[in-house]
Amino acid sequence: MNWLQILADELAARGVSGRARHRIVLELRDHIACEPGCEERLGDPGALAATFADELASARSRRSALSAFGALAVTAVALAISQLMLGRVGYPGFDHGLTPALFWPALVGMFLAPQVALVSGTLAALRAVRRRGAIVLPAAELALITRRTRIALAAGLATVAGMELYVLNFSQRLPSWWLGLTGGLALVAGGALICAWRSLDGAVRLRSSTPGPAGNIFDDLPVLRWRWLRARPWRLGVLAALLAGVMMAVFEAHAEHSLAEGVQRGVVEGLVAALGLAVLGRAMGVVTSRELLAGSPSDSVFALESGSGSRRVGEDDRVQAERVIRDGFARGQISLDELSERVSAIHAAETLAQLRATLTDLL
Amino acid sequence: MKPDAFNGQLDSLILATVADEPAHGYAILQRLQQRSSGAFELAEGTLYPALHRLERDALLTSSWSAESKRRRRIYDVTPAGRAALSKRRREWRRFSTAVEAVLG
Repeated sequence: MNWLQILADELAARGVSGRARHRIVLELRDHIACEPGCEERLGDPGALAATFADELASARSRRSALSAFGALAVTAVALAISQLMLGRVGYPGFDHGLTPALFWPALVGMFLAPQVALVSGTLAALRAVRRRGAIVLPAAELALITRRTRIALAAGLATVAGMELYVLNFSQRLPSWWLGLTGGLALVAGGALICAWRSLDGAVRLRSSTPGPAGNIFDDLPVLRWRWLRARPWRLGVLAALLAGVMMAVFEAHAEHSLAEGVQRGVVEGLVAALGLAVLGRAMGVVTSRELLAGSPSDSVFALESGSGSRRVGEDDRVQAERVIRDGFARGQISLDELSERVSAIHAAETLAQLRATLTDLL
Repeated sequence: MKPDAFNGQLDSLILATVADEPAHGYAILQRLQQRSSGAFELAEGTLYPALHRLERDALLTSSWSAESKRRRRIYDVTPAGRAALSKRRREWRRFSTAVEAVLG
């Protein structure tokens, strides 16, 4: 197998596909054609493919988070216009629609989903902006950004679905111009969200191998770096739920001219916010965890250097050892032939001692 | 000079090289080595991720050339790339002057 073929395969294995892979291979083919036999100087094709994949994954994940935020902004405007116009027409009673089976999902979509979208989408975009200068982000951090983006987009789509269900439920009650306006706005917002989802799909397909921690909400919002909050992250959830509840209570008490109504809705809002954080907090990196704060121990060279030699090795150990070997090749410590031999030895190794033997002069 | 010695400077070196005249990857590398009198030892493949990164940042633009028999990607500097290069030159001169003043 020649150098270019290995590069093409490695790119494909890391999720670099289609036009991007084709372009890279053509450029490197031209380079080799300019000076036949220069493959050794081009470096390890696996390491080069990993560099391309890591950089592309970082750039696309950031872009998808920002695209999602833009699409969610469109959805927010659509929802706001729809609600403002509905205020002028007059809210129909919840029991004046076709069926509660349409009304309740519509309500969840229009009032709860936007809050999830706002929190998750803002956190994703915030991280993308904060890390815009980094050429490569750790795989764990990319996973966090894409997870937040996915949750935000799913919540955005639930909002759009809620708007459409509301239109359907009150299709015989509300004026046709409002139904048409809201239905049309929901379609436009849905289109923007689907475009953003496609961008996210492109980012998720890429497999980054850069080690490092993902970070969490305390890195995103430095204002929250109080020790008492960091020590017990659940306190942040309680604080956020309380804040959401109080804001809703004040807003509703003012809007409905009723303190009791405001308190009632504030309590519901607070409970829902707490539930939402409990269910989605870890996925959004709101709640800290050992896995989010630091890479897995098996991700580090330390794991290869310590521990009993008779311990049986896992796939994580082999990946880490291969990374050490490829770094050694990139630094010119070993030749292409040695690289190939050692990679084979890594995959044949069954114990930690056998794995260490492939790395003795590199660690 | 080992690659670590010019970490962070590769992008500036590429911009400076391409700023004179549009070029393809291999020609950029040749110019880099000629101008530095072969001082930079980099794995040649690392040039390409840097070129793609600069293009993503809108500092370079590229297109396929129809002149050669092979398909060849030609890179050129954008106005934003020229502005970035000027800024990096100023920063580098300030930095190197300061280092020289200390080292003597």
